[in-house]
Amino acid sequence: MKINLGDIKAKYRELFVVEKSPEEANKPKDFKKMASDFWNGKPHEERRLGDLYVGNTGLYKHREWRGVKDTMYYFNMIWLYNYAHMVSDIMKYGHGPKGVVTFAKGTMRYRWMGQTYLTVMHWFDRGLEGTRGEAMKASAWHYRGMVSETIRQFMRMFEADKKINGGKENETWKKTIAHNETLSGNIFYGWRDQLDDVALEMIPYFVSVHVNNHTVLNYIDAAQSIGLPADPCPMCQAEYGLFVQDDYPDYSPVMLTTNEACDGSVATSVLQDWFLNRPLYAMPQPMRYDDPLVQKHCQKEIEGAWKFVEENFGIKMDWDQYVKHAQSFNKLTEFEWEKWDVAANTPYYPINGVAQALYRIYYSQDGDRPIWHEMDEHVRRIMNKTVKNKIETFPKTRHRAIAWSCAPLYYSNWCTWAYNCWGINCVINMDSLMFDQYLRTDTYEHALEDLSWFNEKAPMRAMAVGGHEHILSLFDYMERFNCDMVIMYDQLQCKGMQGIHGVFEDEFRKRNIHAIWVPHALPDKRTVSRAEIRDIINDYMFTVMREEPLDPSLLDFDDSMSW
Amino acid sequence: MKTIGKILFKILGIAALIYGILFAVFYWDLDGKFLYYIWEPMMIKRFDNMERKDATAMPYSMKENVEANFEA
Amino acid sequence: MKDLVHIFELEDLLQEANNPLVRQAKADGKRALGYTCNFMPEVLLDLPGCFSVRLRAPRSGSPDMATYYMTNRTCMYGRCLFERALEGGFNFLDAQMATETCTVTCRFQEHLQLMDVIKNPDFFCEFTDVPFKKNENSIEHYEEQLRFHVLDKLKEHFGIDTSDEALLKAIEEHNEVCRLIQEIGSYRKLDEPTITGWEFSVIQLCTLVCPKYLIIDKLKDIAKQLKTRKPDATKTYKVKVVLTGSEEDDPDFIKLIEECGALVVADRYCYGSLPGRDEIVVKEGETPLRAIARHYLENSQCPRFMDQHIMRERKQYLANVAKEYKADGIIISQMKFCEYWSYERTIDTLILPRDFGYPVCSIEKEYVNNAVGQLRTRFQAFVESIELKNIQKEGQA
Repeated sequence: MKINLGDIKAKYRELFVVEKSPEEANKPKDFKKMASDFWNGKPHEERRLGDLYVGNTGLYKHREWRGVKDTMYYFNMIWLYNYAHMVSDIMKYGHGPKGVVTFAKGTMRYRWMGQTYLTVMHWFDRGLEGTRGEAMKASAWHYRGMVSETIRQFMRMFEADKKINGGKENETWKKTIAHNETLSGNIFYGWRDQLDDVALEMIPYFVSVHVNNHTVLNYIDAAQSIGLPADPCPMCQAEYGLFVQDDYPDYSPVMLTTNEACDGSVATSVLQDWFLNRPLYAMPQPMRYDDPLVQKHCQKEIEGAWKFVEENFGIKMDWDQYVKHAQSFNKLTEFEWEKWDVAANTPYYPINGVAQALYRIYYSQDGDRPIWHEMDEHVRRIMNKTVKNKIETFPKTRHRAIAWSCAPLYYSNWCTWAYNCWGINCVINMDSLMFDQYLRTDTYEHALEDLSWFNEKAPMRAMAVGGHEHILSLFDYMERFNCDMVIMYDQLQCKGMQGIHGVFEDEFRKRNIHAIWVPHALPDKRTVSRAEIRDIINDYMFTVMREEPLDPSLLDFDDSMSW
Repeated sequence: MKTIGKILFKILGIAALIYGILFAVFYWDLDGKFLYYIWEPMMIKRFDNMERKDATAMPYSMKENVEANFEA
Repeated sequence: MKDLVHIFELEDLLQEANNPLVRQAKADGKRALGYTCNFMPEVLLDLPGCFSVRLRAPRSGSPDMATYYMTNRTCMYGRCLFERALEGGFNFLDAQMATETCTVTCRFQEHLQLMDVIKNPDFFCEFTDVPFKKNENSIEHYEEQLRFHVLDKLKEHFGIDTSDEALLKAIEEHNEVCRLIQEIGSYRKLDEPTITGWEFSVIQLCTLVCPKYLIIDKLKDIAKQLKTRKPDATKTYKVKVVLTGSEEDDPDFIKLIEECGALVVADRYCYGSLPGRDEIVVKEGETPLRAIARHYLENSQCPRFMDQHIMRERKQYLANVAKEYKADGIIISQMKFCEYWSYERTIDTLILPRDFGYPVCSIEKEYVNNAVGQLRTRFQAFVESIELKNIQKEGQA
């Protein structure tokens, strides 16, 4: 292969040089302004973040210069800090340096690991693009929590995994509970001192899509290659594909499953049973969940799950452990309520839309873990500061939006883009409002009652099932969070949401609400691309709202091959 | 004393150099570029060519009622 | 074969939901109670003073208004029902006894609740929660749900007698229909069946959509005729098949399969008789409501059930049905956008031929069946493939 200097120069320009428009290049140099931009970062309207991308890759020619203070914070406390902590987390959760070997084995065995998770810093970059000061810091702490917990989970999986440990059922395998990702971790609090619970799908395809959406497409294609139609929920399709491709770790002697959040989730129970071929306990939640008559039934199913674990692992549930973790989890809930209060009533809320959504759904699904408390402490300090000093964290907010229904996993950071481009600040989203339940621990009966309520209010199902009133609570939340705009996620394969489409249209018209429908296919970017999502929002903002973008470079760019 | 100072200075110098290199990696997104252009294609090749067992060949036969004992 | 008595009259009854027998029962002062799913026990809706109507939307075209509300990415059955409701086709209903057992029919029924669609001042829509397992906890829960959301509501709104005596009588009448349907259906097990799949589906559907007291005599006549009915001198079919899958209320679809040379000898789908037309047994010491709750959970083969052994038994059940009815193959038909059956169909298509040795034809169809040509080709090819296999087997023997 012959490489000439011209090619190298062209490649260099493509990868590193931010092209200036002739108008920009011919401008007389204003050194004072340049110094100010260097020190403080450019004002929002002059940033031109869209110029930083390398072609359609989503990579940066250079990472954003946010001013000295924020750039150095980002470099030291986000980029360096997280890379360093990833290594230390691998060793911590892998029980010393041998953890590195376990990690390497997992990386080489599983596509969702080897191809996906190493690109994690770009996940930060996408989510935190354009953020400054306290908003950048607080949001980054949320990301840090998710990364650490992801490492903990995959390290546990790899350590226990029969597939990468010579087919052996080691001690860790014997002490790990596998469960459906929509079954909350709080069910297993009573064993947290002796066993560990890891959701089957959370790491292989749920979190992975957010980090790098390339991997999941293999699983969706694998599912369809053996005859599954293309229309069922692609999340469930991905789960099917994971099994078809034999790409799930074998890390537990049992499986506990549930029916959350939809018919597809019920259907995948057969897959779990078939492919895992080990004792499986189904813990379904009632559909008409706020009917007082369903509660006892639900509680008995939880008790059934406990007995199943006791029987299979030979370890009695420890009530004190349950109480300890439930009380500890309540502290997370209390802080969540504080956050909602600040988000709803002030402009000082320091967490951006994507960090809020992902962190909330992650920790509430996962249950009580030390990392969440550690992260909440960091965020609490920042939030106290922003409230006390009245720091407007998203000063260019033109619209306060609420996002409803389930988000596109491959573009959960659309809200970062929407703020940067249009000043649409996504204050809250439906997934954050799930699991809104305090866990009483004063008596066994109260504990069980609250635990069943907690699980009944799991992601999607809390709003999507059990009656119109749940999904139409959007309008109450809109008022509560002082929002003037709705981003209505339109998951094309979600039958529950498609089935109520027209009712929302009618309501939006009746109430004179600005609502932007955002079609998507959860993990599958091929159905509706990120660029198409942006086009829809752009069109609405130009033609209906008659507004001009804050950063025109973000209106139209190609990120089709981005992670 | 002078030697210690020199060593310290050297260590500081090396640390500053490493810090500078890391900043360059960070600023020009060299980590991203490495992962995108080198690591990921390598992994795709590996996983595309990996031999996998046909998981669907697993029989799906009858099983006893494992839940019977867990009725609350 | 000689035409079955009443068959064309019954076929006519399937042309609209508010058929002449429904109108007659309404004129008799009875309340019409709609439902969509087998998990709403029809026996409870057939208590004295009311009658059950399992909703269908026959002769549907393009459900445009419903598509506005539910988009074109939901199951067409749900949409056609809603379209029919919006058109006023269900105004005869006095109540809709709803279940949240699959997403789209649930949304349809919620729309009836929210949007004041049914122009009947007495109309109400009440939901029952249906469990996902068959254990004692689920039966207990289901019984309580049926008492509160069905019996109490019927009593409260329409003054229906819901005593144990009334329930026992309803069970008795229900069982009589079941016995007749089982008897009629049993002729499909013969080496040379004396009833076609189309005929049977017309009869079975009528028992779901007509007041039972008005058709029972017709069923008796049919049963009587079948005792002496002879098969055609020359076989009119090439192979026998079981039809399984999601919602299916279109006898013309069965006719299409049979025109391709496959006689449908067993119907294991929503609206089918297997296992829906098993008799309800009241065990000693059991209340009738308890027996009903137990029956409807234990007997169902719906892919909604999640108990591990039940998920596995479903496959075995289907294979047993094929064996009992001497079928050569199985057609698995899934309503497009039905989430449960998307998976069930795909898995069955892999497992049934491999683990149970039955050839499978796996199809996806719409409620309004416009893809007749393509389906005909599929069925013809399936029939040919079974025939070829049979020839090969004979050759080897």
